[in-house]
Order: sequence, then C-alpha cells, then structure tokens
Amino acid sequence: MQCLRAPLSDLSALEGQRACAEWQQPGQEQSDYHPYDADYCMQSLCPVETAFRALHGCNGGGENENHGNVHGSNDCFSNAWPDIVSSMHCPVVGAAASVEETSVNASSSSSSRKRKSENNRRSKENSGGSDGKDDSNCKRIKEETGVGAATPEAKRPNKRKEESADASKENDKAPKSDYIHVRRERISQRMKYLQDLVPGCSKITGKAGMLDEIINYVQSLQRQVEFLSMKLAAVNPMMDINIDSLFGGREINPTCKSASIPMIGMSSGAIDQSYLQFGSLQHDMFMGSSDLLLRPNVNPAAAVSDTSLGSCLNVNGSSVWNTNLQNVYGVEFQLGRGTALPFQSLQGNLLPNNLKMEM
Amino acid sequence: MQVTEAFKHAFLKQMLLGFQASAVSTKSMGFQERKNAIKLSADVAMAVARGSRKWTRGLIAGLSEERQNRSFLRLILGEQYESLLKPCHSSWKIPRCKKIVRRSLRVCWRKQKKNQSGVLARTLVEKRTQELKRLVPGGESMDGSSLLDETLDYVLSLRAQVDLMQSLLTTFEASKLRSHSKRRLPERKASYVSK
Repeated sequence: MQCLRAPLSDLSALEGQRACAEWQQPGQEQSDYHPYDADYCMQSLCPVETAFRALHGCNGGGENENHGNVHGSNDCFSNAWPDIVSSMHCPVVGAAASVEETSVNASSSSSSRKRKSENNRRSKENSGGSDGKDDSNCKRIKEETGVGAATPEAKRPNKRKEESADASKENDKAPKSDYIHVRRERISQRMKYLQDLVPGCSKITGKAGMLDEIINYVQSLQRQVEFLSMKLAAVNPMMDINIDSLFGGREINPTCKSASIPMIGMSSGAIDQSYLQFGSLQHDMFMGSSDLLLRPNVNPAAAVSDTSLGSCLNVNGSSVWNTNLQNVYGVEFQLGRGTALPFQSLQGNLLPNNLKMEM
Repeated sequence: MQVTEAFKHAFLKQMLLGFQASAVSTKSMGFQERKNAIKLSADVAMAVARGSRKWTRGLIAGLSEERQNRSFLRLILGEQYESLLKPCHSSWKIPRCKKIVRRSLRVCWRKQKKNQSGVLARTLVEKRTQELKRLVPGGESMDGSSLLDETLDYVLSLRAQVDLMQSLLTTFEASKLRSHSKRRLPERKASYVSK
C-alpha cells in the first residue's frame, strides 16, 4: 500500500534547502532591520532574504505578527512565501516607493546600480512575490547573464535604456513609462517562476500558452481536491480520531496557536525538551488509547490512527513530516512505529509473545 | 519551491480540528453532505494555515456566501472571521492602476497599430487572464502582476492540500484494514490461550 507522493516535493525540498544555505550567508545581522525602512532596502543587495527570515514565523498562521525576530531554525522556508503584513501595509510602502523610485532613476547610471535599484524597487512593490523573483534571479545567475537573457525580456533592456534616457530628459513621462515597463518586467518574472512551478511548462515561452497551462494545472488541482474529499468521505465513517489526545486538549479556536509554535520551531536536537513538554500529552494519549482499547464497543482503529497516521506519513518518504509529527506524538510515535500495535506497549509483557506469533 | 513545515503542520492540525468540529466521523450524514463538510474543512484549514493573503480572504469570503458554511466558519475562525471579511486596503490602489494601464494601452496601441499579431496576442492573454481570475479565489479584484503572485501562492497551497489529503486518505485506509484484521485477533488469541 504505497502512497503516490509527487517526487516534486522531495526535489523542491532539496532546492529549498540549497536556497536556504545560499541565503543564510550574506547579511547575518538582523538587529537593525526594519522591514519597511526604505533606506535599509536601498542599502542591502538582497533585502529578500532578511524579509523571509523575519517573517518565517508568520507562516505558522500569525496574521498580524511582524517582529524582526528570527526563529533561527534551519528548516527550509520557501522563496515564495512573501511578507503577509506587507500586503496590509502596501499603501504606505507604495507611497514611499514611488518617491524613492524617481530619485533612484535620476541618479543611477551604471548597469549594476540599475539592477540594484530595480531589485530594490521590486522589493518595495506591492506584492511580495517580487521578492521571490529576486530570489530566482539571484539563484539563476548562471543561466541568465543580467536581465536580458530570456526571450520576453530581450526587447526590454533596449526599451528600458531608451526609457531611462528619456526619463533623464523628460521627467513628466518618466514615472508613467517606467511604471509600465517595470510592471511588465515583474509580470514576466512571475511567469518564469510559475513556469518552474507548473510541471511541463519549460518548453512554452509565450504568455498566453503559459497562462493556459497554469489554468489547466489549477483546474486539475481543484478537481483532485474534490476527488480526494469524496474518497475521504467514503472512508471516514470508520474513523474516530481523538483530536484532544492528539493535540493535548487544545481548543478549536486557532488563537491559541502560539502554543504550537514552540513545537514547530524545534529541530531534532531539541527532542528531549519536546518530550518534557509533551509529557502530559503522552500521558493523555496512552490513557486515551488504553480507554479505547479496553472498551469493547469502540473501534480500535482509533488508537491505531495515531501511530498509523505517523507511520503512513512516514511511508510517503518525506522525513519532514516525521520530525513535526514526532513532536506531536512524542514517545508514542517511536514506540508505535516498529510494531504499529499500540496495545502491545500498553499491556506490557502480558501478550507480546502471543501477538508476535499471531503476526 | 516548497511550502514551509510550519504551514503543513498548521494545515494538518486545522483540518483535523475542522473534521472534529463538523463531526464528519460521528454524525450520520449523507455521502454528499459529508464530502462537502470535508472539503469545507480542508479549504478553511488551507486558508487559516496560510494566513492573510488576497486569495485566502477571497476564499473565505466565497465560502461564507453560502449560509450553511457560516456557522462552521464562525466556529473555526472565531473573532478573526469578522476581520477577514473586511475589504483589504490594497484594493483601493486598483483604480489608479487601471487609469495608468488604460493610458499605457493607448500608447502601446498607437505604437503597435501596424502589428496586428500583437493585438491578437494581447486579447488571447486577456481572455486567459479573465479565466484565471475566475479560478483563483478573490481574483476579480486583482491586477495582472498581483494575480500571478496570488496564483503562485495558491498553486503551492493547493499542492500541499492535495498531498495532505492524499496521505490522510492512505492513513485512514491503512488503519481501516488493520482494524479489520484486529477484529479477527481476539478470536485467534482466545483460541491460542485456550491451548
């Protein structure tokens, strides 16, 4: 019974790790980083990376968190998860950015400075996906020599040079035409990003064809979700997951997510601490499963669900699930994994031999 | 390109909580009803785990349009429900962009009057953009570049959702099979002990 797991996620995990390694070297200091400090953005070559660092914690679901603190964990954060709060603060940033843009355009002359200013401009723009574009840009610096490598952008450098030349002459038209071409460049950057994301798109170069593929992919994913929910509905009547025991009796309201965040932040090195923290959780789980087993009417599948969930997700081949679920399930995960028979551990020495014979 | 582990974890947790909230496993409901409840749980979990984005707000807004979903949404989201339904400030920027876009189109139109294929290509792109706007939740109120950005984010989350649901499914099926085999165990055990 093998789960068909897309190999993409494994590959992308490796890519993400490599990207993390790349990005962690430069700019180690975050003490004086303010995400909306335009000056800072101007100075740093890659404001992207620090933004991702600062907001890594936000991915856990804290919508209004915007602290400069970094969790310091090495698990890979995606290049594509932009600043959540920036989408809320975009008017402020956009106003500041427009002022900076014109001054930057007037002063920049060399190509390298132009590129930096474009990066900064892009990083200050509305949607944070541009940060991801910067990332992809810097990552693929071997593939692209500068900005004009890809075919949709081949015309653009010439146009941009003309435009910047015009801009120096006619300051009235500068903001408008720059805006258009910046927009177009952003769009092409994102198309390239999507090209990597959507499978089988490497050959297609046109915008319309790409959009077609993206549409098809989104539709197929949505259909897959429908289908899987149907299958889950067919299977579900048998399941009776004891959520309270799984998650330590946490409330439904996600506002107490802060309790789960320390769990998420733990790497494998801190498992002792997690065991201490989930000592009570472990107790609950044992109690819960033992109750379930001792009661004759209850479906023993419930007790199995804890460990089988973990073991099955393990079967998928992604160890990343493993580490997080270990933190959730605590010791029971390890106990249950080898045998997948929780009551073996619970009932001690009474039945193990018998069970082994049976199995 | 990969979603974060925190996201996956939050997603899984939210989905299981959602299943519990809508009591899909205990209540006796029809097949279609159960399927809808599961899908609703999954979508809400995805939106909650991702945080505040245009598409997540659009998704929740779309879900709350149906009355049957509202109680579930209120239960899961709590006080965030009201704040999520408020319009985002960034939507105010759109009118300005449209004016500039229109002016730029006029300029480009004059430049490319002779180039008919460019016009054709642009209309094709326009059509597809419209369709993409329909697919991505909350897409109607986005402009070109942010639409692509949200699409990127949405695709990543959808992929994670599919992976998660797939693994849940295999887990349930596996445990179901085990439970079937275990039901036979007590009988075998009794026979062994008696010997």
